[in-house]
Amino acid sequence: MTDKQKKKKAKKEVIITGFGGQGIIMAGRIIGMSAALGDHMHSVFTQSYGPESRGGACSAQVIISDAQIHYPYVMRPDILICMSQGGYDKFISEIKQEGILLIERDLVRPGALKRNFFSIPATRMAEDLGRKMMANIIMVGFCVSVTKVISKDAALDSVAKSVPKGTEEVNIRAFNKGYDYGLAILKGRGKKAAGQTGVTG
Amino acid sequence: MNNYNVILMLCNWGAHSAYQTLQDTGAEIPPEISMVRIPCTGRISKSLLFKAFEMGADGVALVGCEPGTCRYGSGTAAAIENTGDMREILDLLGLGKDRLRLATFLPDDSEPLLQFLKDFCSEIRALGKSPVKHVKAAKPEPATKKALSDIVSSHDVFACQDCGKCTSACPLTLAGKQFSPRALAGSIIAGDIDSPEVQDDIWACLTCGLCYDRCPSAVNFPEFIRDLRHFSKQRNLDGHEAHGGFFQSLMRAMTSSGLKARRWDWLPDNIRIDNESKILFFGGCAPYFDIFFRSHLGVETCNIITDSLRLLNFFDIRPALLQDERCCGHDLLWSGDKDNFLKLARLNVDLIHSLGVEEVVTACPECYRTLVHDYNEYGVKLNCKVTHIYDLLETEIDKGAVDFKKIDKKLTFQDPCRLSRFEQREDLPRMLLKRLKPGGFQEMSDKGSAAICCGNSAWTGCDSFSKALQVKRLRQAKETGSNLLVTACPKCQIHLQCAMEDPFLGEELKMEMMDLTGLLAKTIYWE
Ligand code: SF4
Ligand code: SF4
Ligand code: SF4
Repeated sequence: MTDKQKKKKAKKEVIITGFGGQGIIMAGRIIGMSAALGDHMHSVFTQSYGPESRGGACSAQVIISDAQIHYPYVMRPDILICMSQGGYDKFISEIKQEGILLIERDLVRPGALKRNFFSIPATRMAEDLGRKMMANIIMVGFCVSVTKVISKDAALDSVAKSVPKGTEEVNIRAFNKGYDYGLAILKGRGKKAAGQTGVTG
Repeated sequence: MNNYNVILMLCNWGAHSAYQTLQDTGAEIPPEISMVRIPCTGRISKSLLFKAFEMGADGVALVGCEPGTCRYGSGTAAAIENTGDMREILDLLGLGKDRLRLATFLPDDSEPLLQFLKDFCSEIRALGKSPVKHVKAAKPEPATKKALSDIVSSHDVFACQDCGKCTSACPLTLAGKQFSPRALAGSIIAGDIDSPEVQDDIWACLTCGLCYDRCPSAVNFPEFIRDLRHFSKQRNLDGHEAHGGFFQSLMRAMTSSGLKARRWDWLPDNIRIDNESKILFFGGCAPYFDIFFRSHLGVETCNIITDSLRLLNFFDIRPALLQDERCCGHDLLWSGDKDNFLKLARLNVDLIHSLGVEEVVTACPECYRTLVHDYNEYGVKLNCKVTHIYDLLETEIDKGAVDFKKIDKKLTFQDPCRLSRFEQREDLPRMLLKRLKPGGFQEMSDKGSAAICCGNSAWTGCDSFSKALQVKRLRQAKETGSNLLVTACPKCQIHLQCAMEDPFLGEELKMEMMDLTGLLAKTIYWE
């Protein structure tokens, strides 16, 4: 494998989409920040609000690489996180063939999608924890355990630094909630593949 | 040289004639044999059979008449059943089934009887002395006024305002029994503990804690009763034990440190165990219950253990098991035998510490309460976390990605007093119940911390009023229109099943029961 290929392999492009007020931008920034500060990678983070911002569509784009990043925009995401139907419809055609798709279960209907994806009822879970706004943090936790694009420690650190003072603890709980959910899903898929969906015996 | 002790329980009729011939002819009966004449082998209950072992017998031979020659008709058949069950219990306990034998002889069979006795004694010698050391009851202590008033003041019973809320809440009183906790408290304060009425009441109380829940002065009546029972037992007063005191005997036998129990031999092969694990699963006494009640209740409380282990395995937890696990001691503590409770507590704690585990998980509400609360209170410190399996399951299920298959049943729920009331965790089983997908769920009219007892606690004082109380409870369950009564304690299953065996009301009361762990295990799956 040449150096060039190796570098290419260690590059991940992420798009997070949703609507204003969901904390999409913060989620993107947390992922980028964790990669740069905690995992000592290169990362760039760009954001875009649709013309209808404030409740309208928005997206965050993060590129993480172990080499310098020369072009800051995402061409085809390796990881696509959709927290709204609009965002999903807009970006679904761009995700790479082998990319990982994560969706908010109650807000996105993937229809007759023919690819593998991971879904989580992040908003509902956030409501259970007492704050609907934390759906983004739950989604970040979910993304970390499912995709491992950044390390858990780095992510926890950035979450604590990014959320409003005084809410660190509950946000960390939210992160762990999403993280554990991701682990549980991976475990469940493993069991299914091994043909053990129920209890044995 | 001969320090063996083999008890021969010998039926008065046929077999005794054979034995008499041996005595008359001066035959060499092995010297370790002590013969006890009994009216019929069928009259020797499991508790009597076991009593001999509790008292240190190395072997017991139950000898009577051949089937068909029993003077009472069915005696031998009952003896076959009793000894069969008891042999299994001896195996579980680690004493070994071969220490108990049933044999039958005709009156002319003196030679074969002698041969049998010789063979049996040499088998017992090969097995060695019984590891069960008989704990002699301590010398009765004089009932000092001071000791009694200490009990009264330690529970602050003086604070009683004579309001009678306890009596109006007590399920025994409500079942029609002449029984009043308020009056009992009054008698004890007045120094009366010995009169038969007071003694009756002390052993009748279910220690269910409903009265404590209502008492404005927070008189902890169940614990008060617990200490009065201990006080009474120290003076060798009768404990009104159910089932001839079998369970208390069994638990006392377990205090012998030399016993090497074989608690888990029955476990299905596909359960995954890891004895290096930092999590220990504490099973409880269900295996003994199932054998003991097999012939007349047919309960399967062992399923609670297997289903719990399967659920742990489902979440990739392979717990360690304690081969030598003893009874947690709950029933001894609550039936007045504090000393032997403490012995069990120390044995269990030492065994658990020797494994170096960090967490003990149990599915039995009594074990949970005892490990988490009473061991500490009595100064036997357990240096690891104790978790009820419901807590662990709730955490795992809450992580997501699991779901539950639909159950085509309407459910209602019997609260276990030790979890719902004593530990104030009525919410816990309900969180799990909410996750299930039944055809419906309806609470009984008395529920949660106000729920009515299953009818007995610590195997004492079971009487016709306990039965009336159970009938009332089962009718409440029926009134919900449900067809599956979910339980969360092996004892609830046993006692309620017992009530359903009522020959007059049985059909009206019959209802399918299943433990919550069973329902979870049956329906859970990875999404
Ligand atoms: S409820 Fe409490 S205060 Fe009232 S009579 Fe009973 S023990 Fe006394
Ligand atoms: S503990 Fe239960 S049975 Fe005993 S007096 Fe109180 S309410 Fe009655
Ligand atoms: S209710 Fe039945 S099983 Fe329970 S103690 Fe009474 S007689 Fe025994």
